[in-house]
Amino acid sequence: MAVYKRSYTSYSGALTPPRTRFLVLPRYSYERLFKSRFLVGFLVACLFFPLGCIGYIYLVNNLTIFQSMGIPTPGFLKIDGKFFLVFMNFQGALAYVLTALIGPNLIAPDLANNALPTYFSRPFSRTEYVIGKISVLFILLSIITWVPGMLLFGVQASQAGWDWSVANWYILRGILLGHITWILLLSLISVAMSAWVKWKVVAGALILGIFGIGAGLAQIINSILRTDYGSMIDISRIMYTIWSDQFGIETSTGLEAFEAWIGFAAVCIVCLLMLERKIRPKEIVR
Amino acid sequence: MSDSATIVFEDVSRFYGEVLGVNRVNLTIPPGITSLVGPNGSGKTTLMNMMTGLVRPSRGTISVRGIAPDDPQALFRIMGYCTQFDSFPRGYTGIQFVTAALLMQGLPAAEAEAKAWKAIEKVNLVEAAKRKVAGYSKGMRQRIRLAQSIAHDPQVLVLDEPLNGLDPLVRSETIALFREQADRGAHVIVSSHVLHEVDMISDQVILLANGYVVAEGEIRGVRAEISDRPHQIVIRCDQPSRMASKLFEHDHVVEVRIHPDRQGLLVKTTDASHFHKLLNKLALDGIYIDTIAPADDDVNSLYEYLIGDEGGN
Amino acid sequence: MDTVLWRRQLLAIVQLEWKKTLFSKRGIWVYVLAFLPALLFGINAYRVKSIRAEQERMSVSAPNASAVSNKIVAGMSADVAAEALRDAKIPYSRFTRGRRLEVIRYNDGANAFDLMFREGALVDKRKRNQALLSDDIRAYAGMFQYFYLRLAIFFGCVGIFMNLFRGEMLDQSLHYYLLAPVRREVLMVGKYLSGLVATILIFGTSTALQLYLMLSAHSNKEVSDYLAGEGWGHIAAYLGVTALACVGYGSIFLAAGIIMKNPMVAAASILFWEGINWFLPAMLKKFSVIFYLQSLCPVVAPLNSDIPEPLKLLVTTAAPISAPIAILGLFTVSIAVLAFASIYVRKLEINYGAD
Repeated sequence: MAVYKRSYTSYSGALTPPRTRFLVLPRYSYERLFKSRFLVGFLVACLFFPLGCIGYIYLVNNLTIFQSMGIPTPGFLKIDGKFFLVFMNFQGALAYVLTALIGPNLIAPDLANNALPTYFSRPFSRTEYVIGKISVLFILLSIITWVPGMLLFGVQASQAGWDWSVANWYILRGILLGHITWILLLSLISVAMSAWVKWKVVAGALILGIFGIGAGLAQIINSILRTDYGSMIDISRIMYTIWSDQFGIETSTGLEAFEAWIGFAAVCIVCLLMLERKIRPKEIVR
Repeated sequence: MSDSATIVFEDVSRFYGEVLGVNRVNLTIPPGITSLVGPNGSGKTTLMNMMTGLVRPSRGTISVRGIAPDDPQALFRIMGYCTQFDSFPRGYTGIQFVTAALLMQGLPAAEAEAKAWKAIEKVNLVEAAKRKVAGYSKGMRQRIRLAQSIAHDPQVLVLDEPLNGLDPLVRSETIALFREQADRGAHVIVSSHVLHEVDMISDQVILLANGYVVAEGEIRGVRAEISDRPHQIVIRCDQPSRMASKLFEHDHVVEVRIHPDRQGLLVKTTDASHFHKLLNKLALDGIYIDTIAPADDDVNSLYEYLIGDEGGN
Repeated sequence: MDTVLWRRQLLAIVQLEWKKTLFSKRGIWVYVLAFLPALLFGINAYRVKSIRAEQERMSVSAPNASAVSNKIVAGMSADVAAEALRDAKIPYSRFTRGRRLEVIRYNDGANAFDLMFREGALVDKRKRNQALLSDDIRAYAGMFQYFYLRLAIFFGCVGIFMNLFRGEMLDQSLHYYLLAPVRREVLMVGKYLSGLVATILIFGTSTALQLYLMLSAHSNKEVSDYLAGEGWGHIAAYLGVTALACVGYGSIFLAAGIIMKNPMVAAASILFWEGINWFLPAMLKKFSVIFYLQSLCPVVAPLNSDIPEPLKLLVTTAAPISAPIAILGLFTVSIAVLAFASIYVRKLEINYGAD
């Protein structure tokens, strides 16, 4: 008869509540990510442009030279939808680069090291896993996109007054909706690519390639078939159309806003389907 | 022995960044079966990889039967290496895998295939040869790699953990294969963790710990060199108690333990040659000695004496 | 020098590798990338044929359609335009795109039009596919230079040539080659040749198919006139440029796969360099593969419409160089890159854990 020494007792301390359990993943990811000096430096550099924009807003609102000369402030010095669209484009491009840097590390290493069964052998669902991984990017990209965007809007509102804020509230909606959809799209593409290939090098290439090749394909579809619908697979055009529509600015992307939304939804669905297929608690035993 | 018949390491070191792979290795390995023994991370694979040119030494030179490892064209005419990497080119069947290696030797296709079949026959894998390697069991994958490494009848066969994953029957067949290669004058360099097998198959051993060569040579020779550990000898005799009391009269006998069946005893002595002379005297005094056998001149004991706890660490 | 042995070994490496590259599941995306333009030209051929058929029908059923069509001008309301078409018995389709854009599509027998109305007024009268061979030749030139060379062959070569060394490193199967009695340089050349065989086969076939499908849309007379003129020269040039692109990009990405642990950095940098080639000074242009390839293209492609107007001013032109010099230049670049890579391949170590 075997006699076992009763030395093991299960953990009886406090547990992370199920609703916020997915945040465990970003917590550990950030610990690893912030060890990279390059990444921290890049993240800080991403905030230079918003800082410059704040300075610009202050200057434009406090220019007295034109008033003193009795002439209206020139149009190009106006803070309007176009100004915020430029801001969104610039920060959006930085968000894309940051995604290409961080994205490949999200799921690919877990696949390469057969770590998924370890995650799913705990009270942690596939959805929580995906949300946890997406939130790594979502939180980080927010810091450089809509958060400074709202800050800019706040600065402009405080300088230009209540009337400006009421007349331009759509800009606030545009920044929030535009950047959050962009982050969502980037995060989904990033985790889907990272889940589809187990090598992070290739995942990085795919994240970069999907934009470049998508744009190229859109161009040839449009030029060979003499249509505009090819642009529906060009992610940057889709987003630009959506953003411009939010700010009421006409674009020459060839897409109407609703077509761009359809394109956006299609990309999201494809990414979710890819995740559904790949994120499974399976292990290849050799 | 000339350089063209031995494998020579001269002051060889290899560092992986700040991590030590092996350090200041000086070895001369004669033909026959040589086992590399040591705990994980002791530098066995690094030594093998350097010997085969997969890794370059940070310092020092290596010569394999007079050929430098950075001359693959000459080296792999006489060498076969069965690595530990359990991966294969995609989509190959067993026979294609072995044939591919022979085609790279420059052999015509027909001759390459004939030789491949011969090698596959040697590792008893003929029936599975036309199946995809991806579907093989671990033992079969090990054997097909072995077949690939012996297919061109190399004079130097380097085998990294070659007995891993093999069942007992195949193990003994494989060991016989190594012996056959050694008997025809080849170098067979084997690394293994299974010490009793090393003991069975090796002509000489190289013990490694933390990147250093701790000992090298024939097992008994190495044991004889270890003077700070008393030799253990098992004696079967008819009067163990009397023999024990006689033995204790001598300073070099440090411990005697009588076997529970009271038909033998285990003696620890610091001077083995003196001890054997003493036994002759005791036999003449009327104690009937049935057998005398050393109890610690195997790899296991050498490992324990020379590497000991480091292995566990 | 053991040239007979090297030749045999090269042949063995090519035999082992080219099939692996051509028939690998992982490489399906290369086929998709390569053959997508062919598919598009196939669809275009079908469309051109149906437009032609419609034009023939229109010339019988509504002989004055062109005159009516000419009267539809900017500012006209959608209802008035529709009524005019209806009166002239010109079939049309009317649909909306989103809240603000309304489209009327019709064919007047000579041209196919899309009338774009915003807030009820005609803002754009866009000619659709005119079913002209000259249009397709221009569209092909644009597609070939902006998509096929710069993206499809570029990324295809990234996938195939980088996989030859770096991919096997990741698969942990490269050591089998390094344990063969083959000089590392011979191994490198063998792998390069196998990559070339695969890429030239894939992309060359696609180029031929694209050209065939492009021409198949048009009448026999048009096609035979074109072939009797400069047609065969164009076809030969496009096929040659395809092969040369594989030679040039192949050598670069094979080298990147050998030299760099993360060759994607190299790929992204080269893509950027090749992408900004338009804006580079004439001298710098010559340090790129695309410059030589574009010099060899038989038809000048229209400037990419995506480039914003202010940037178009920055586009510089370098005098295109003659074909022999371009070909020689490309081969010289490729050989130099391979020679440089051979220094690294000799020192290549197997250290799978680090990848």
